Amino acid sequence: MNGVCVVGMGTTEFGVHEEGIAELGVTAVGRALRSSGVDRDDVDALYLGNFVAGMLEGQETLAPLVADSVGLTGIPTMKTEGACASSGIAFRQAYQAIRTGIHDVVVVTGVERMTNAETPEFTRALGSAADHGTDGATGLTFPGFYGLVLDRYMHEYGATREQVAAVSVKNRENGASNPRARFRSPVTVDDVVDSRLVADPLRLYDCCPAADGGAAVVLASADVAESFTDRPISVLGSGHATGRSAAYRYDDLTTLEATTLAAEEAYETAELSPDDVDVVELHDCFSAAEIGDSEDLGFFEKGEGATAVAEGRTAVDGEIPINPSGGLLSKGHPVGATGIGQIYEVCLQLLGDHENQVDDAEVGLAHNLGGSGAVSTVTVLGGPSHV
Amino acid sequence: MSEFDSDSEPSQFPATRCADCGALYGHEAFVCRECSSEEFEDAPLDGSGTVYARTTIRVPGSDQQGEEPFEVAVVDVGGAESVRVTARIEDNPEVGPEDPVEFVERRDGVFYFEAV
Repeated sequence: MNGVCVVGMGTTEFGVHEEGIAELGVTAVGRALRSSGVDRDDVDALYLGNFVAGMLEGQETLAPLVADSVGLTGIPTMKTEGACASSGIAFRQAYQAIRTGIHDVVVVTGVERMTNAETPEFTRALGSAADHGTDGATGLTFPGFYGLVLDRYMHEYGATREQVAAVSVKNRENGASNPRARFRSPVTVDDVVDSRLVADPLRLYDCCPAADGGAAVVLASADVAESFTDRPISVLGSGHATGRSAAYRYDDLTTLEATTLAAEEAYETAELSPDDVDVVELHDCFSAAEIGDSEDLGFFEKGEGATAVAEGRTAVDGEIPINPSGGLLSKGHPVGATGIGQIYEVCLQLLGDHENQVDDAEVGLAHNLGGSGAVSTVTVLGGPSHV
Repeated sequence: MSEFDSDSEPSQFPATRCADCGALYGHEAFVCRECSSEEFEDAPLDGSGTVYARTTIRVPGSDQQGEEPFEVAVVDVGGAESVRVTARIEDNPEVGPEDPVEFVERRDGVFYFEAV
């Protein structure tokens, strides 16, 4: 098996963009190529993650469109879709192709445009990730799914609304110094618990904002990586798993097994444990999601996630810094772009170049989740000293 | 008016059972998760249920515009041999985990329960 490295990366800001979806993808890929030192002739394939462009933009065939527009005409391309994990899945496919020797250099991008849609159309488009025949038919939205998760979590573990709100407070504080984030103003616990209800017990400031954006990385096999850059990031481990596609399918709604299974695979391939991880970007689409994720990824025991965040244990200077980028709650969630956006933030940490730099960050983890816990990817990355 | 008090007995819940291996389903299955059979038979269950988790949708998608707020819950229904389903709770009651509910009807493919 070949080693796999990140040798270049690029992103747009996550926020409100006038550019169309293809332009966002082209911009991110162009920036990644420029940062990589990779020539166009070196690139073997391009994989693109996207979720709602067909519904909201009426634009499909995005992978060949972006490749052709950026001068990568001729190579094989494909789009991957797994709702909000679409580009985490694209990354996984590129990783496997390089690891098994099929390709040496692959460009991976994620792209989404959402802010031009009205809230009902946008909510309906995102809701297409739910099972139409069951959860979807009841009118359960994604905030609603996490409302159910939090209702059960608070019942089982006695977590308080104030503890859960601490996730939003932490992430908005982190996002305030991230120039790539859509929201750059802090909020207080009172702001969160006094904001309007969206899907009880979740309130507005428990929910991540929509955003437009694109992010891209260039992956290369370890034996050629150092010909492109003197600071390659090593992909130490990768996991990808299917979970439950509807709320009723869970025996325990407080554990999303797509995440636990993907994490297990990623830790196993990396030959590392949660204790070895220095910095985490995880899928905080809602405050409640971060608490469950932090447990499912192995950083805390079941039921401890809420107290841990309220005690500051996941702050940038805490024992296990989670979402120093501000996470989805601050950066925004351009759904198809989010997975690569998270990997971008972790790579910045491992290069020592992040605005909210975690001291001595050597090993980082990125966690992407799609649908009702339907699919997850987990990526463990190591700094230049790991190559 | 029937001599039976219609409020005292919940409607039976329309579960189905795999004709080959007997696996029980609340939401309709087309292929059995256990044995891949495509044959199912009706297996009505007691309509008494218990709420597992509940939310109130206040910002719906475009298909449910104007219905908000409405309650969606995960409910265990059927007694000893129960199934878990995603359902609507009627009349916006503030039910929560472990509260009893009763099955009312299936309408347009959606299960409706009410608080007891």
